[in-house]
This record gives sequence, structure tokens and C-alpha cells, in this order.
Amino acid sequence: MKEVCSSNTFIEVNNVTFSYKKSEIILKNITTSFDKGEFAALIGPNGSGKTTFGKLMTGILSANEGSVFVEGKNIEEISLGNIGKKIGYLFQQPARQLFNPTVKEEIGFAHSFMGKSKEIVEQKVNKIIEEFSLQGLEDASPYRISRGERQRVALASIFINEPSFLILDEPTTGLDIVRKEQLSQLLKSLQPQGIGIIVISHDKDFINKNADRVIELYGGEQHEA
Amino acid sequence: MKLDPRTKLVMVFSLSTLAVFVVDTLLLSIVLIISIIVSNFFKEDWGFLNRARKFILLLVGIAFLQSIFSPSGEILFGIKDFTLLTTGGLAKGIRVILRMLVIIISATIMKGSSPREIIQGLIQWKVPYEIAFMVSLAIRFIPILGQEAKDAFTAIQLRGIEIDKLSLTKRFKVYSYMFMPVLSGVIHRAKELSTSLEARAFRAYPERTSYIKLELSKNDLLIMSASIVFTITMLVIYILLR
Amino acid sequence: MSQPIRAKNLSFSYSKDGKKIIDNINLQVNKGEILAVVGLSGSGKTTLCYCLSGIIPHLYNGELSGEVYINDQFIKEMNMPQIATKVGVVFQNPETQIFFPMVENELAFGPENLCIKREQIGKRIEEALSLLDMEDKRYDKTEHLSGGQKQLIALASVLTLKPEILIFDEVMAQIDQKGKQAIKDIIIQLKKEGKTVIMVEHNLDNIEIADRKLVLKNGGLKKFEGSLQ
Repeated sequence: MKEVCSSNTFIEVNNVTFSYKKSEIILKNITTSFDKGEFAALIGPNGSGKTTFGKLMTGILSANEGSVFVEGKNIEEISLGNIGKKIGYLFQQPARQLFNPTVKEEIGFAHSFMGKSKEIVEQKVNKIIEEFSLQGLEDASPYRISRGERQRVALASIFINEPSFLILDEPTTGLDIVRKEQLSQLLKSLQPQGIGIIVISHDKDFINKNADRVIELYGGEQHEA
Repeated sequence: MKLDPRTKLVMVFSLSTLAVFVVDTLLLSIVLIISIIVSNFFKEDWGFLNRARKFILLLVGIAFLQSIFSPSGEILFGIKDFTLLTTGGLAKGIRVILRMLVIIISATIMKGSSPREIIQGLIQWKVPYEIAFMVSLAIRFIPILGQEAKDAFTAIQLRGIEIDKLSLTKRFKVYSYMFMPVLSGVIHRAKELSTSLEARAFRAYPERTSYIKLELSKNDLLIMSASIVFTITMLVIYILLR
Repeated sequence: MSQPIRAKNLSFSYSKDGKKIIDNINLQVNKGEILAVVGLSGSGKTTLCYCLSGIIPHLYNGELSGEVYINDQFIKEMNMPQIATKVGVVFQNPETQIFFPMVENELAFGPENLCIKREQIGKRIEEALSLLDMEDKRYDKTEHLSGGQKQLIALASVLTLKPEILIFDEVMAQIDQKGKQAIKDIIIQLKKEGKTVIMVEHNLDNIEIADRKLVLKNGGLKKFEGSLQ
């Protein structure tokens, strides 16, 4: 097995092939890597395997062939719980990753569930609420706020674990231009902290504006643009 | 041969009726073999058995429990005074497994029919169309529900929660948290679905026409009557033998 | 020029003391035009679609005042099936608009509800599919269609009810570039057939096909002059 860890590489994808059924290969021999602090975009038409690729790099799905390394370690050997501390994953429908009755509890969930002290959690939550401009929504239900706000809450809740990498699946779906701009601003504000970002999207404007690097998927194969 | 969904429904109903009423290992085995033959005839792939592996393991577990808690017959296996497996228990367990297999396998007979045709079959059997459509829609969305629950479970773990390291009570707590996203998804989807159904004039009148029309062929009638006769005969043999 | 759909002093809020999502809107849509209504998320675009298609007040409750007329008929006095034959709506999410395993089943559903005769239904299915140039998809499984194709089939299943007005509620939001183009081409085709189209959008790239553009903000409708805010 190849042991890879150049100083800046965070995710290493090595000759990965994936199919749900034997007959249909979704991804074929994909090899690429993602660095800390880079803003990459994964584009391609519906059904090109973008979401699948994102899930492989988060360990939600396992490759049929080839492997994915996170910080040099094979992702198969890391539990989802531990990956979550390194990589934040935003689902296409953020409602699927919200579990708590209020925004405040939602953001603090990862820590309060693991039994961290109330004061520490609250301090952190307050800081994150400010960072993600969620002031005024602390006691609102994550299900009764707008789509853009819900997405920010989902991101904020991931951030309590201080991940070093983010994978966002179609984050601009359902966002109007003003909310998209807010998302751009938010993501840009994270970059100086050295956080790497992969955006899976078919929103050309958003990608042209934000991404340093574009990988296109079609027919299960990658094309670096 | 393409059979009417109603014919298939009668076959499934016949086989599962036998599975429920017959409490005889030999007869149950015969019913199972027939189910397998019939299901195979409709060219079912058996991939689902692989997916149902956990479920089948559970059944085997139940069989063992049965024999522990209701021992009868001779002791086959035990540790000191504690009986683990008896002939009676084993037989009971096997019957539970046979019964479940008959029900599962016979249900796959329906897989070849399109849900729309099954709905039509039910409607032509005078089941109110609202009910037939609603049940069919509900079934269609079960896999999506499963996907949502899976996503929610993944998302919880990705919050940095290592399920394997949790105590049992904490683990249950994790499951209880999944309730919110799944329920919100269901409500949201139900609302969207009912809106688009109504926007396409669903329930305009107490009756509706149908573009597809099912007609029972000679084969259908033949197979249907054969199924019914077979079921009654088996039940009679079973009762007489007892 | 005739105006198949009109709104007069239309206001709506979801609860009695709630914020007016729609505040005293007056709207006339001309026959055969493509009208685009743009607005930010939460500006009430979907609510407006619901009011113009009778979903409010027939399916959703709230505080509604003012009137919507479909061909000079008061929408409140029509029932949903009557409205459905005049106004067709396509929604944002393709998944919850497709109910059946085969394209043909899907297209037949609407006319079946209206108790149309079998032969007629067959004809309507053919017409709708040929308008969309999707005749070859008639016996396809709906689960194998792409998102864009699903939206087109959702549209086709509304077309078999023969509505003269079509409302598109952000139908391109979840669709990729290629699918968006196909939908836009079809909307132009619908206009040629004499249909009246109202499309609601937050993505300004999608409205270049419109004859007239309005912006919805603070509950009111104004001429669109390039800004949503």
C-alpha cells in the first residue's frame, strides 16, 4: 500500500472505482488529491457521480477498488465519528443533519452530547453564532427558519468540531443571489484559517467566482479543467 | 406468460394463508418448495435474500430462543442443567423460519407487476381508488424514508460521535435524535405530494376512468382456481391428519 | 387582448396577525405571453403561485382577501378539478410530482381523474409527448429519468389536463445546465401553442425567455429593473 503525505495534502484519492450495481460503474479510476486551504469544485451533470465522490471522501461510502487517504491514513480504518472531527460534510438537504429543537442546542450538540461542561459549550456556541451571523436565531427551531439560514446552522453545527476540511454537496440549490453571496463570504472567511473546501455543484457562476480549481466529472471519469 | 396482478395476488394470498394456518413441518416444507418454484417461474432474482440476510439471522435467533423458553421433546444440547436446545424447540424454530420464508418468497411473486397495475387490480376488485393509490404511494416512498434515516444516522456520527464507543443508553439516545429529521422529511414530502396530486385533479369525482385495463385471461382464471383449490385441499389434508 | 388570469387587490397572510406575504397585488396576464416573476427566497413567490392556481384557498388555509379570476371566473367559486383544467402547475421538486413507475401511467393520471374516455386519454398522451418531443419515452421507467426529464414529464402530465395557463414554480432550481435549456425551449414552444405562462424564479439566468418581467418584494409586484432587493 502506498503511504502518502506530502505536507499539504489532506485528502488523497487513489485509483478509486465505485459502483452500486456491478453493471453500472459510477466512478472509474479516479486519482486526485486535495490540499489544505484549497477551494476546489467538483462539477458535472446530474447523475455524473459528484455526490457519490463526495460521500467516498467522507467515508460514508466505501470504494469498490482503490482507496482514499485522509492525512495519510486509509479512510477505511477511521470511524465516521473520527472523520467527522476532520471533515465537515454538508448534505444537499441540510434538514437531514439537524436534530435539535433550537439552533443553540443544535450548534452545541456535538459537544454537549459528549458530556462537555455547559460553560465551555456555551462559550463556543456564542462564538460560532457570531461567526456564522446567526444572532437572533438562537432559540428558533432549525426547521422553521429559511433555507439559507438552515444551511448556515448545519455548517455552524459542524464547525464546533473545528474540522480542517469541508465538503459541501450542492450548497447553492434553493439559494437566491443574495444568499449565495452570503455563502461565498462565509466560505471565504474560513479560508484564512487554512480550511480546505470542496464544493460539489452545477452552479457555474458560484464556482467561477470562488473555486481555485475545477474538476469535472462525466461518464464516471475525471477531467481537470 | 404475463399474468394479471389479481391472479398473482390470489397466489400470494393462498400461499401465505397456508403458511399461517399449517403447523406441520413437512407440509410447511412442501408449501415452501411450491413458493420457491412459483416465484422462480416469475424469474425473480434472489438478490433480496442477500439483503434480507440480517433478518434471516434474526429468525434463526428467534428459533433458538423458542427452544430455550418452551422446551419440549428430548434434549439435544445443554450446559449442565440448563437446556439450550430440544427437539421440540428445534422443530418450532424451523417452523417459524419456514413460515417467514414462505411469506417473503411468495410476496416476491408480485415484484414483476407494476405498482400501477396492482392498483388497477385492486380497483377492479372494488377497492376504493383513493385507498389503492395512497397505499401504493406510501410503499413507493419507503426506500426514500430508509435513505433519509441512513443519512441522519451518518450525519450524527459525522458530528464526531463514535457510536461504537457509546454506552447502550447513549446509543439509544442517538437513535431518538434521528426522529426529528426523518419526521420533518415525511411531513414535508406528504405536503408536496398531496399538493401535486390535487393540482392534477385527484379525487375530482367518486369514480375515475383508467387508461390501463386489466382483463382476466383463461390462464388467469385457471391459475386462480387452481390456487384456491390447492389451498383448500392442503388445509383439509392438514386438518384430517391432525 | 384577453387576460386569462387576473388578480385584483390580492393579499394573503398565513395567520390572522401574521405578516402579509402578499400585499395588495394587482396583476393581469395576457393570453400567450410569458410572464416572469422574480424575487428573493422568502419573498412570497411560491405563495403567489398558490394563490393564482387556487391551491390557496382550496388546499391551504390563511387570510386571503381580494380576487383571482381565471377567464373572468372567480377562482374561489371553482373547485380544484375545475381549476386544474384551466391552470397547470409544475413545482420545484421533481421527486414529489412523479407518482408512477412508467411515463405513460403518469400522463394518464390527470385525465383519468376527470373521467375522460380511454381513447381520448391515449390521444392526449400522444399530443403531450409530441409537444415535448419525448414520444420515445412513453414506456420508459420514470425512475430512470434525469431530473430535467422528470420535470418535463411532470409538465407533460399537467398538459394532458389541457390547461391554457401554466405556472412554473422555480422548476429549474434542482436541474443541471442541459436540463434547464430543455425546459426553457419547451416553455417557448408552449407560448407558440398559445399557452399563457407564468414562471417564478430567483435565478435571473432563467428568465431571458420572458416577454415581461416583474419583481416581487415586500409583498408587492413591480416592474423588474435588474435588482431583486
